[in-house]
Amino acid sequence: MDYNNVEILFVEDSIEDATLTIRALAKSGFSNKLLHVKDGAEALDFLYCKGMYASRNTNEKPKLILLDLKMPKVSGMQVLEKLKSDPKFKHIPVVILTSSKEDPDVEKCYALGANSYIVKPVDSHNYFNAITGIGLYWMILSEPPI
Amino acid sequence: MYRQDMNKQKSDELIIAKKEIAFQDEEIEKQAAELIIANKELAFQNEEKEKRAAELILANKELAFQNEEKEKRATELILVNKELAFQNEEKEKRAAELIIANKELAFQNEEKEKRAAELILVNSELKHAEDDIRELNEELEQKVIERTAQLESSNKELGSFSYSVSHDLRAPIRAINGYARILMEDYIDKFDTEGTKVLQSIIHNSKKMGELIDDLLAFSKLGRKQVKVSEINMDTLVKLVREELLFEEGQNIPEFNLNELPNAKGDQSLIKQVWINLISNAIKYSKYKPKTRIEIGGYEKGSLIVYYVKDYGAGFDMQYYDKLFGVFQRLHSQEEFEGTGIGLAIVQKIVNRHNGAVWAESKINEGSCFYFSLPA
Repeated sequence: MDYNNVEILFVEDSIEDATLTIRALAKSGFSNKLLHVKDGAEALDFLYCKGMYASRNTNEKPKLILLDLKMPKVSGMQVLEKLKSDPKFKHIPVVILTSSKEDPDVEKCYALGANSYIVKPVDSHNYFNAITGIGLYWMILSEPPI
Repeated sequence: MYRQDMNKQKSDELIIAKKEIAFQDEEIEKQAAELIIANKELAFQNEEKEKRAAELILANKELAFQNEEKEKRATELILVNKELAFQNEEKEKRAAELIIANKELAFQNEEKEKRAAELILVNSELKHAEDDIRELNEELEQKVIERTAQLESSNKELGSFSYSVSHDLRAPIRAINGYARILMEDYIDKFDTEGTKVLQSIIHNSKKMGELIDDLLAFSKLGRKQVKVSEINMDTLVKLVREELLFEEGQNIPEFNLNELPNAKGDQSLIKQVWINLISNAIKYSKYKPKTRIEIGGYEKGSLIVYYVKDYGAGFDMQYYDKLFGVFQRLHSQEEFEGTGIGLAIVQKIVNRHNGAVWAESKINEGSCFYFSLPA
């Protein structure tokens, strides 16, 4: 895969959730330039061109980041905090995906500058609609700042 | 001789007589002078006596006056004496009484001393008891502190437990539901009718499980949510709930009879949930009744306001009333009326947290009326 041409960075540790999310994005035509990474550390490596992404062009940035919160190593919250405090990345829309309505971090996420917060519904039909909606809104309708 | 003698004798006698007379004259003159003096003396004495007499008259008068005064004083003294005698008598009586009273006091004093001795005993017993109570109180306070800490930590645990339940239980169920749907959508040609049914059942049940988890969490969250009490304009709130109701196409929409509602005190967002649940229930259980209506009203009852939602729908059997407000308790089958059975449990929990009550009346096939009360 060409790491310089990634439009959606998808950070998710659960294989099942990842499969369902990627499938939903694929069905609505947003999967061709999607990169799935399995935790926050890998996401930061990708964005800052480190580790296995060291050869990547630092000027190429994704248009959208889909970020799970509860992940091993570096959590979604930590990734969000780092990105939103970095002038190079803070303009990239970050959509938080979480399993729980009970997440104590909802407010914190918005305070840190999360652009949207999606609770993954159990019903896959609703999940599909939610993911399709995210792709549609952030990849097509939303205008990035110049 | 004789004659001469005689004459001589006579002359001598005369001379002597003359001398005598002269002497007598002299004496008389002396006496007269003495008498004059005596007379003067007497006149003076007389004068003195008259003066004395006048003085005596004055003194007499004075004495008479003094005498009178003394008689007056004497009568007064007699009166005073009588009075004193009377007072004396009274005093003797009082003295006798005082003696009796004194004896009484002495007796009482003795009793008091006895009581005091007893009280000292009781007091020391009380002091012991007080010490015991203080000790017990201190122990209790310590226990309360410990319990509060335990409750706080178990509350925190419950919070993180809720989070775990919602996060970790939902994830595998989401996977089951999602993968079953992938089979349904992408591999349906590989299943026969029976297989398709099984798949549908997996999808349906995993979705249901998700709803149950969400409801259970919502219910447990209620117990921890702080109740923010303010005056609620109930008319506005119920109209808002009514307007926000979503009806599916072709759904049997009942007529709403909204009576004027008195205001009450409560947590607006929680009480809104009560109305949502009761009105949604009324609509749900009316769905098989064509052209039915739902009546909403309220009235004051003492210091409480009672509200009601009345429908003319399916109703329920009052013999199962005790299960009505239980968590996940249902009095109808899933096929007849959908739902997890959390709605009324939430209603009861919210109303209870407002120190109100919730109750219902129903007749099968005639409808139900749900009441809840709130402080005015």
